[in-house]
Parts: sequence; C-alpha cells; structure tokens
Amino acid sequence: MKFRTIKLLLCVFCFVFLTGPAALAADVNLSVAASLREAVTELSADFAKKSPGVSFQRNFGGSGALAKQIENGAPCDVFFSANVEWMDYLEGKRLIDASNISTLAFNEVVFVGKPGLKVHRLQDVVKLEKIAIGSPKSVPAGQYAMEAITKAGLDKQLENKLVMAKDVRECLMYAERGEVDGAFVYKTDAEIMAKEVKILFIVPQNLYPRVTYPVALTVTGSKKAEAVAFYGFLQSAEARKVLSKYGFAVK
Amino acid sequence: MEMSINASKQFGSFRLEADFTVTGQRIGLFGPSGSGKSTLVGLVVGLHQPDHGIVSLDGEAIFDSRKGLNLPVEQRRVGMVFQRPHLFPHLNVKHNLLYGHRRCAPENRKITLDSVVGVLQIEHLLNRGVSNLSGGERQRVSIGRAVLSNPRLLIMDEPLSGLDDSLKFQIIPFLKNVCETFQIPYLFISHSMIEMRIMTDQVLSVADGRIAGQMTAEELARSRMGESHAGYINLLKLKYSHRLDGLHVYHWGNAHLFASGSSDLPESLFELSSTDIILFKRHPEAISARNLLQCRVTDVFESGNRLGIEMECGGERLIAEVVRQAAEDLGIERGIKVYAAIKATAFRRLG
Amino acid sequence: MPGFTPTDYSAILLSIKVATTATLISLPFGFTVAYLMTFRKFRGRVVLDVFVNLPLTLPPVVVGYLLLLLLGQQGWISKVLLQPLGIKLIFTWKAAVIATAVVGFPLMVRSIRTGMETIDIRLIQASRTLGAGWFDNVITIILPLSIRGIIAGSVLMFARGLGEFGATIIVAGNIPGVTQTIPLAIYEYVSSPRGDVMAMALCCVSITISIAVLIFHEWLGRQMIRTD
Repeated sequence: MKFRTIKLLLCVFCFVFLTGPAALAADVNLSVAASLREAVTELSADFAKKSPGVSFQRNFGGSGALAKQIENGAPCDVFFSANVEWMDYLEGKRLIDASNISTLAFNEVVFVGKPGLKVHRLQDVVKLEKIAIGSPKSVPAGQYAMEAITKAGLDKQLENKLVMAKDVRECLMYAERGEVDGAFVYKTDAEIMAKEVKILFIVPQNLYPRVTYPVALTVTGSKKAEAVAFYGFLQSAEARKVLSKYGFAVK
Repeated sequence: MEMSINASKQFGSFRLEADFTVTGQRIGLFGPSGSGKSTLVGLVVGLHQPDHGIVSLDGEAIFDSRKGLNLPVEQRRVGMVFQRPHLFPHLNVKHNLLYGHRRCAPENRKITLDSVVGVLQIEHLLNRGVSNLSGGERQRVSIGRAVLSNPRLLIMDEPLSGLDDSLKFQIIPFLKNVCETFQIPYLFISHSMIEMRIMTDQVLSVADGRIAGQMTAEELARSRMGESHAGYINLLKLKYSHRLDGLHVYHWGNAHLFASGSSDLPESLFELSSTDIILFKRHPEAISARNLLQCRVTDVFESGNRLGIEMECGGERLIAEVVRQAAEDLGIERGIKVYAAIKATAFRRLG
Repeated sequence: MPGFTPTDYSAILLSIKVATTATLISLPFGFTVAYLMTFRKFRGRVVLDVFVNLPLTLPPVVVGYLLLLLLGQQGWISKVLLQPLGIKLIFTWKAAVIATAVVGFPLMVRSIRTGMETIDIRLIQASRTLGAGWFDNVITIILPLSIRGIIAGSVLMFARGLGEFGATIIVAGNIPGVTQTIPLAIYEYVSSPRGDVMAMALCCVSITISIAVLIFHEWLGRQMIRTD
C-alpha cells in the first residue's frame, strides 16, 4: 500500500517538474533595461497586435546584470541596453553580431528629490545625507552618474553617502519612499513614474557621455523570424513615436 | 522548636490535610511513599503553598491564607537536605558550603565554616570540584552546606535513602553530631524505622495525607512490630572481643555474644529481629544456638496479634515477640526469668 | 589578497562589526526571554513563543519589510519614538544591526533554552532554601549553568549574522562603507559581468571567517569540559 503511494507521488513530481509550460513556437525573449520598461511593453504589445501568434517573455533589470544573465545562458532574442558598454561586452563574447546592433534612443541623467529640497546643482548634492544611485558595477544609470560625480571632483565627499540600487527604478523608489534624500535617475523615469519627487536639476551633459540605448538581435534571436521582424519594427517611425511619447530622445 | 500546621492542599486526586503542633529538637516524619510527607515538608519550606491554612514556626506565621501572607522560601530560614546532594556543579566544595552562609544575615551567622568542616571531616575536600567526590562525601558536603546557612529548622527529606547500608550508618553519626553541636532543630523524614529510632525523639506518622499519630520513635517501633515481618528490630552496640571457632565474640553489657559477623572494628551496631529470639521457660540443656541469655521480663505489650516481650539482660534491653498462645503456654508475665536463645547468624551488622 | 578595494575591506570589517554588535545586544534579551519561557508560567506564554520564533519561519525579506514598515518614515515606532528624538534608523548600520538581531534572535533563544532546560530544578530549589532570591538565583545558578547554551546561541547568531542579506538589504540598503556587508558586496559583484573573481574572493573570506568561528566554538566547548 505504501509503495503504491510513493510511486504515485513520484509520477506527480516528475510530471510537474519535467514538463514546463509548452513553449510556443513564436515566443520572443526580451531582456530590457529597466528604464525602458513601459516603452518596450507598449512596443511589444503593438507588435503582437499586428502579428498574432507572437508572444513575448520580458525580463527587466540593470543592463549589466542582464548581460551577465545572457552570458550565462539565459534565453534572449533581443537585448535592450542602457549603455554601449554592456552591448560591446556581449559582442565580445560573440553572443551578438555587430551587424545586428542599432541605436534605439537617448536619454539624460537627472537628480530627483522632494520638492522644496535646496539642491539646484550637482555640487549641492554633497550637503545631503543619503543619495540613491544604480550600482556602477552593473547599472548604466549609476555608471553615468558616477562618471559625472568623479569628473566634478565630488567622489570623495560622497563616500559613505551612496545607496546602491539594483536598477534605476529602485533608485527612484528609494527617493519616492523618502528613504534617501535624492536619487540619480533618467529624465524619462522622473517624467513617467515620479509622484512624490521631482527633478531638482539636470546633470550637465559635459560630465558624462550621452546616454545611448543600443538594441540588438542576439545570435539566437537572429534565427527566429518573429524576433527578426520585431527588431525591424523597432527601427520604424511608429516605434520612434512610442519612444518619444515616453520622453526618450530619438536620433 | 515549635512547628504548627493547620492547612490543606489538593494535588490532583491527592488531598493533604494537616492540623497539628509538634515541639522538639529532633522530630521525625514517618510514612510510606505517597503518604504526603514530601508535600507536607514542601509547605514548611515554601516550595508549595497550601490551598488554605496557616503554617507557623516558633509562633511566627510563615504562611497564612487569610492574611495573604506567604513568606518567600529564601526568607524562611528553613534549610533542606535532600535525598540526593544536589551540589552546585559549577562551584567547588568550599563555595558550595559557603553559598547559604554568605546569604545569611550577619547577626544570624553563628555557625562557621571551620567548625562544620571539622565535625563533618571534610577539610581535605575544600578545594575539590564536586564531581570528584564519593557518594558519602557529597552527602556530607550537602549537609554542611545546609547547616552553614544557619537555618532555624533543618529539614532532611530521606537524606540516607540514596546510600548503601554501610554508608548510611557512617553518615548518621555526622548528621547527629552536626545538629547536636550547633543546636539545630531538625525534621527528619524517612520510611526506615531504624533511622527514625536513631535520629528522632518525637515521630509524626503520616498516611493518606493525614497525620495518623504522634508518638516517640520507640513507641512507633513497638506498635508496628505486629505488622512488620521483620518484627521489632533490636539495635545492639557490640564491642569486639576475639575470635573463636570461626565466630566473632562480642561484649554486650555483662554478656558475651557470638555472631557470625565479619567486622574487626572495636565497636559496631548490630540489628537483631524480635522474631529471631526463641524463649525458654527453663534452661535447655543442649541447644544448637550459640547464644543463650538469662533475662528477666520487664514488660509485655500488644502489637497487632503478637505480644512483645521486653527483657532485661545483663544490664541491656531486648525485645522478643511471641504469639499470644505461646505467652500463655510459658506463663510469661512481668518479673519472671526466661532464657533467650539466639543463633549467631541472626545478628546483622549495620555499620 | 586579490585586489580588494577599500570598499571591500570595509565590507569585511562591517560584516564582523554588525554580526558582533547584533549578538551582543541580543544576549540580554535572549537570556531574559529564554529564562521566562523555561522557568516562569504566565499567560500569553504561547504568544511570546510564537512571536520569538516567527523570524525563523518568515523569509528574511518579509522580516526586513516589516521592520521597514515599523521603523521607516511612515512607521508607527518611527512617528511615536524615533522622529521626536531625531533618530533615523533606516539605511544606517544600526538598521543592519537590528535586522541581523531580529533574524538571529530565535536561534539564540532556542540554544539558551536548551541549555536551561537541562538544569536540575532541585538545584534551584536548593539555592532558594539557602537564601537566594529569584534574581540572585538567576545570576549565581542559572546563568553559570546555562553558559554552554549561551555560547552556542551566540556563535549560531554571529554566524547567521555574517550571512544576513534579505532583511538587511531592505532596511539598511546597500551602502558601501556604511551598510554593505559581505553578502551585499558579493551580490553586487555577482550581478556584474566582470565581478566573478571578486565575488569568489569575498566568498572565500566569508568561508574562512565561518570556519574560524566554528573552530573557536569547538575550542571553547573543550575548555568548558576541562574545567568541569
């Protein structure tokens, strides 16, 4: 009697764990920089409306972390990065072909905080106690901000004041919750998402390279017709309109 | 010391009801297991509280349910020696001994470490850890510890039960000496009649949660003679004399006794059951028993369906037991002469 | 040492500092709770038991989130106690200590309770008949006899504290030099494509510290046996 129960349980176990949800033939895997969340969600929805049968698996996060996941074998057909570095990194690992990279949009780095906070330029930031920034080891928004801070000679003064976030949206969340005094985020994040905080100043562009979003078809993606089609769709005027709507600069 | 208890306590299905006052320095509490002895004692120490009633020592109430008085254990100054020593394992012997002493108010500190250590003969143990001691040594330290807290009453709850016989009778003198020397009244609990007779004057017998009677230890022993198949235990102090034919010869009063004991100690305590003594009206000319004593009957008492015959032999006292019919047949009454025959093997050495 | 940055060194020191502090501040509370649970009967005992063991069964992030709700800007304790006193706890090393202490507390209490439960109640009764009040009893009898449990609990809590991540990152954040402990530093390196070497190096440091702690615990245990 006991043996039978064990066998039955084993069968159930195998069934549950070895059969996943049936992968649809037309599943396109996207790895997307966090700041592009809403824009890419809408873009993929628009594309899906046009091409029925296509469905998307979307994965959002810091671009560096996403690159590492892809390097370690995470399925990805189209990669949206918030800087060129992580795109080049994957190209160096031969997971992306240079011919399949194009520039999607641009952005600016801003500093947000509660309205009324007496911070009007980058130098004022040292007066604050805690500032959220994407981890420069893997989050482009943090890398850009860190470059600006270093170029402005403020890095020593800001030691021990920087709270590392795993992506730019977490930075914004810390600022919204009041757990930090301010945060370095993208202009688009502040415009789309911010409720409690507002843009206190724009980080001078001469302190950091222009925020560039490359998008690429991975080697696996280039073999999927639907992925190739989507990649093409991203270059279209319609796609650019959607991106502008969310505040991104296009070309 | 005067102890007065008028209280009741319900423990599940067991009910304790007591209403007595007892006065004395050496009081015993006797009864079978489960009769309520430990519960009663717990009320005096303060580890349990009665449901209702009053507990007083020397006229001072330490518990009174009507007034809501309940003196905490640590303030009652009632010392306790348990069946097992319960020495503090993390302290050495000296610190164990001084534990209660340190917590005693200076004006009450009459008993000193040196004097107690002397009486109990434990000087050489002072710096040892308690796990390296023998059973007897541990119990002596435990007694010393309780005494050094200068209690106004020492309760000993079967302190000898955990020891083997030879050890028991080695410890008993220490117990007596310590309490006599420092004049500490004690309440001694045991289910052993012999221990009771040695240690106590007045005995309270407890049965089913009630005090069944209050009498001297001797009276208690006699009353129990008929119920016990060991009869009345005669306790004899025998002085060793010499050996003869494989038997040991002892002095007892004016008489010589042959016993098959194995002790060469100058003086030992022996027990002899009243049931092992055979009485003769006339001198039997030949008898296998090696001991034949000429005695005079001093008292006859009843116990159950037996008769106890108290006799005087060569300055010492002995009690034999016979059935009523035998006493009639022999015409035993006070004042007559009888011969008591005792086999050498009937004597049992106690310590 | 493979190129540890100053931030990495401060992560190591911070881990030890946070774990040690959390253990030390938890000791008196842990001892008290263990004492109450072992030796005292009172109403609400079961409730206390459940509360104390709760962090053991909850995911650490849940514990962290609850602490955030209590101690954060909108939190009840914050409004009533901390803000009037000008104390800010969220995203400070104190929050890291609190998170570590809360998560490790049940481990400490359990260990101490186990130690206390082996104490023969007759010893406590004996000490009372010798004149020791309940507090005297606790200090002179219960504390020394439960020292093994206390040490085991401390070591367990310290080790758990070194590895605390979930609650810490929520309530103390990942602030290099201030709250970034070893696990948080490793997390950051692991998310970074070029961070594997450093992540591994910090892992080795973490393992080394854990081994050192366990060896110390063993050694202490033997010392105790020798003095018995």
